[in-house]
Amino acid sequence: MKKRILAALLTLAMTAAMVTGCSTPSTGGDSGEGGGDSGAASGEKVFRYATNTEPTTLDPTKGQSIGDNEIQHAITEGLTRNTAGEVKPGIAEKWEISDDGLTYTFHLRDSKWSDGEPIKAADYEFSWKRLVDPETASPYAFIGDYLKNGYAVETGEKDPSELGVKAVDDKTLEVTLENPTSYFLSLIGSSGQYAPLRQDIVEKYGTDFAATADKNVYSGPFKMTKSENNEYIFEKNENYWDVDSIKLDRCELSYVEKPDTQLSMYEAGDLDYVMVPSAYVPDYQDKAEKFMNGNVDFCYINSQSENKVLQNKDFRLALNYAISRKEYNDLANTGIYEPFNGLVFPGLQAKGKTYGETYEMKSYPIEGDQEQAKSHLDAAMKELNIASPGDIEIELTTTDAESSKKIAEVIQELWQKSLGIKVKIRQVTYSEIYGNVFPEHDFEVGYGGWGADYDDPYSYVELFKGDSSYNYSQFVNKDLDELLVATQKETDTDKRMDMLKEAEQLILDEGAFVPLQARNIFYMLDEDTTGINFYYCSLNIDWVYADVAQ
Amino acid sequence: MLKYVTKRVVAAILTVFALVTIVFFLVRLMPGEPFTSAKLTKEVAENMNSYYGFDKPILEQYFTYMGNLLHGNFGYSMKYTNKTVNYIIGQTFPFSADLGIRALCLAVSIGLVLGIIAARNRGKKLDFACVLIAIVGTSIPDFIMGALLQYFFGIKWGLLPVAKYLGFEYTILPACALAFYTLASVSRIMRSSMLEVTSQDYIKTARSKGLSELRITCKHQIRNAIMPVMTVLGPTVASVLTGTFVIEAIFAIPGMGKYYVESVNNNDYAMILGMTVFYGCFLVLCNLIVDILYGVADPRVRIGKR
Repeated sequence: MKKRILAALLTLAMTAAMVTGCSTPSTGGDSGEGGGDSGAASGEKVFRYATNTEPTTLDPTKGQSIGDNEIQHAITEGLTRNTAGEVKPGIAEKWEISDDGLTYTFHLRDSKWSDGEPIKAADYEFSWKRLVDPETASPYAFIGDYLKNGYAVETGEKDPSELGVKAVDDKTLEVTLENPTSYFLSLIGSSGQYAPLRQDIVEKYGTDFAATADKNVYSGPFKMTKSENNEYIFEKNENYWDVDSIKLDRCELSYVEKPDTQLSMYEAGDLDYVMVPSAYVPDYQDKAEKFMNGNVDFCYINSQSENKVLQNKDFRLALNYAISRKEYNDLANTGIYEPFNGLVFPGLQAKGKTYGETYEMKSYPIEGDQEQAKSHLDAAMKELNIASPGDIEIELTTTDAESSKKIAEVIQELWQKSLGIKVKIRQVTYSEIYGNVFPEHDFEVGYGGWGADYDDPYSYVELFKGDSSYNYSQFVNKDLDELLVATQKETDTDKRMDMLKEAEQLILDEGAFVPLQARNIFYMLDEDTTGINFYYCSLNIDWVYADVAQ
Repeated sequence: MLKYVTKRVVAAILTVFALVTIVFFLVRLMPGEPFTSAKLTKEVAENMNSYYGFDKPILEQYFTYMGNLLHGNFGYSMKYTNKTVNYIIGQTFPFSADLGIRALCLAVSIGLVLGIIAARNRGKKLDFACVLIAIVGTSIPDFIMGALLQYFFGIKWGLLPVAKYLGFEYTILPACALAFYTLASVSRIMRSSMLEVTSQDYIKTARSKGLSELRITCKHQIRNAIMPVMTVLGPTVASVLTGTFVIEAIFAIPGMGKYYVESVNNNDYAMILGMTVFYGCFLVLCNLIVDILYGVADPRVRIGKR
């Protein structure tokens, strides 16, 4: 009998638990956000969007992805603020640049942190030293190499105190650069790593600094009030120096892993902005808008590969002429990207226009050129004493992502068909390709890509500089290296831009790599939302000046 | 009984210890590196390696890790810098467990009832219907089930929220999607186990005593038939409560499911180990409870095991 009562009680408890009990774990934290309902009803201006790459950190110094940096762009304020390429004063009211372009003197305005403390020049000095200090182990420490002794500090050769940044007083910051860097003001306006940090806060929390929203203070237009359970809530920072330009009261960013789910949420009215997953782009072509995110994709060619054919310039050119980028793009990407035959993203700024408008592209035709391909292949075979194209075999390494696999198969097919050579595909994981394969040059031809951290062609052409860490191709060309070193010293910006174009041309003429595509991002935006900006380096969406119609 | 329990507990602890050791060394054999991105320079990678202590001898790293583990400290994630693995699990497990409990309650209660109904009506239309549900349940993958529910209830009819996990109405679709497979397998096992029991001598005895069919089913059949269901429930509870990769992704639930896959893809050693140890302990614990319950329910098990 006792047992039976016990059993009945247990059943009852179970049923009760199912219906009422086990209340959903609280998502609101202390702030008590209602979640589902947006603030529209209460007259608040709220912008809701989602990301499918989970932010890796809220520590500005340690940010390492576009997603990380997009968050920092809203909650921190650099000396300047870069909005879609337009650079305006930030915490620095004005500045002077020395004639040699090496010394910047910034004069800071009166401004406050979100906790009411004044923002001082020392906050920048502390932050930048922390960035390059090897003890910090920031994944993006290299972005501090522009500062004098930045690289030496990063590699432990010099003490952080020798870094080229100095707070002369509370309102004056003196910065010395390694080279005249014409894009420095643009760089510090869009890179979270150059944000100010409060030494007292960083030291108070130690390794837990910025682990959650409450363990930091904010200098930017917004402060973060929640960072848990895949929800990131930003609220207007009333202490922000330019708070009158900020229209939104709040922004809600959800991390939603599956792009399909994001699309469903947008369709159901739970989001104001969504990126259309590439597979759905053809269906949404008439509803979606697009922007270019500055990413260009290409195949690296290991020019010191043991596979001798890849050391041959004619063979590399044959690979390039053989591909119709248009056909490739239709087959591999359902035509949603831009077929591309250059290295530098054409949307960068150059001489008051875009790089693409300023310079004419002299490269392999977008449709390919089979005759050129054939004659280069013949020349290569003659030089290397190869009797038949069928004797040539190259290996194409790619990640195991579904999209990369498809791309590799299309390239394989196009090369085999056009040149009659054999192409083998090797798949590795993402962590392997950037952890071992590329850095250790353990590949013949490898599919990869690049997006710039700053608005300058140097970011792209540097990939083929002899001593660059990113020179996965092991491409060495004395003329190119000399040219690139000279661009670092050149203070005439127009002349420098011409030199960079010359460098890109040289890389193309040498067939150092195989350009494929420049990426388009398709998105949908709620019609009530305005003031969203898109950028092509270090961050994509910039909603700081967004406004929502009531 | 005490001796039996003690033995089980010692075995469980040894299992977890072996698991940690094997996984610790196995992850180091994985291809790839923990710090990888297209932008990472050699110099930065070196700094990061020494920051996380990877430049030390592997045995030293092992003992450091085990020492920390004894204090319940899983260390810092390498991908999510300045978040500890403990913090991440602490944040995500409540969601996974909440969803899992809801799904389990649904699956077990409905699954058992379906199984019993099917067995009692063997060969009739009701049996056929129950078996059909079981077949459909086991053969439709959860990502399709989830997407279908989401599309119809969330978008097309607008009855329930599409995604996220903010209140009771948000839990319904993912719990149903997650419950479906378990429900189907519970009902299948219950049905066949019920049928097996039906031909046992004690049922014949009960029948010959003239007991009513209802009493026979409730008092004799179900109690004996439920044992095999308990066996599968141990591991099922462990896996359902610690998060599911697919359902959580589809419904954007901040659970721990994604970290199983993602930590391996990222070579995030601390995270892989943390997840493995956590899941391992949970699984061992669930099996331990099932073992003990066996002993309670059926004395033969206790005696049978040396």
